[in-house]
Amino acid sequence: MAKQLLIDAYRGKKTPVAPWVPYAGVHCAFVIGEPADKYLQDPEILAKGVVTTAKRYKADGIPLLFDLSVEANAVGCELKWWPDNVPSVVTHPCSNKTPEEAGLKLPTKESGRWPTIFKAAQLAKPGLDEIDCVMMGLLCGPLTLASHLAGVRIFTDVYKNKEFAHKVIKFAGEVGAISAQFYAEMGCEIIAIVDPVASQIRPETFREFVTPYAQPAIKVIHDAGLTSSFFICGDCTKVLEEVCKIGTHGFAIDEQLNMNFVRDMARKYGLGFGGNLKLTLALSLGLISPREDAIVSLAAGGTIGYTFAPG
Amino acid sequence: MSTEPKIHIDILTLDSVQCAACGYMTESIAALPEDVQNMIEYKEWSIKNKEGIAKFLELKGRVLPTICIERDLVFESIIPQYEELIDEMAKRAPTPQMRDRILSLRDKGFEFDKIQENLAKAGAGMKTRKDSA
Repeated sequence: MAKQLLIDAYRGKKTPVAPWVPYAGVHCAFVIGEPADKYLQDPEILAKGVVTTAKRYKADGIPLLFDLSVEANAVGCELKWWPDNVPSVVTHPCSNKTPEEAGLKLPTKESGRWPTIFKAAQLAKPGLDEIDCVMMGLLCGPLTLASHLAGVRIFTDVYKNKEFAHKVIKFAGEVGAISAQFYAEMGCEIIAIVDPVASQIRPETFREFVTPYAQPAIKVIHDAGLTSSFFICGDCTKVLEEVCKIGTHGFAIDEQLNMNFVRDMARKYGLGFGGNLKLTLALSLGLISPREDAIVSLAAGGTIGYTFAPG
Repeated sequence: MSTEPKIHIDILTLDSVQCAACGYMTESIAALPEDVQNMIEYKEWSIKNKEGIAKFLELKGRVLPTICIERDLVFESIIPQYEELIDEMAKRAPTPQMRDRILSLRDKGFEFDKIQENLAKAGAGMKTRKDSA
């Protein structure tokens, strides 16, 4: 377990071995025998789950939380809770209004679940420091948060109603910058912008709506002297070059991408990259051997800027 | 109750609760207006369970998430615009009358008041475990 190893890899540097980050999320709740809904709302249980899981998996870094509903909830979206999953966002306050018309306000440390998260960070940080494990802050990226705010219409609005789309996604980017500030204050050494739905759009849409509105959060992270990353899910082949140009120190992708392609793209831009142990096929379903899959990922990723992680 | 044939839609996902891309792909169908809802039937197939994997293989899925309309892989890792969905459903409507009815709704846009009810009908988020029945 080594913080500096992970930070170096996230910044695209050569490392003696590839560091390892389990995106444990609500699996931390499973590890300590708690339901996900209780785990995500109780700072003591959350901190216990993160530290226990980091120790169990000998992690070099672990997300404090992997829950993309935090920001939406903090500005007024309602949630549906699940005992074995992250909460779903079930209301979209901007489905027919701009954030201003809907009266949305930027979150404070008192909004939504932020008090719980601050408390959990305070409790988890010493335990993670003790094992030299990075506490990572993961914030909801601008397009995903805009989807939570406006619903699926945002994917039509980016073509047909651009003025509205810009207002919603710009607001989402400002909310993300506040999250970045919060995670910096909590002591997270790596902060990632997580924008899974950014893989589901065309490159020109990414350039117009994701790249500019990710900048406020990136600036906060870099101004604090911390390490940044951009996490994207799904088959992001068509937008991967845009991801490389967004301005973070690195990025992470999911199991659907070819690791050789990803590695070459990361090296072209001198970025850190993470992935892509097959979460579904190997870890969840066991259809392929997790051990063989890990060997393939490690061989393809190499030791320049590569972090071994689930995809 | 109408016996008119429906347009069949399969949404192949990782899990529409855990994965936002899968969630909004699923919502793009659940948020179709009521007049369109009356002409379609749809289901989420999470590949976290055996039934979902079987459907992914049966439809020759390539990426997640994917929207299949009448067994065609139509939207693969791209969340559709409203009009694109309408056009692709109209192309595959079982009757010319239904095609015309769907196309007449091209300017209607998404509706959000019955999303949760529609997602529940599609089984969204309900079968996301390896041991899901």
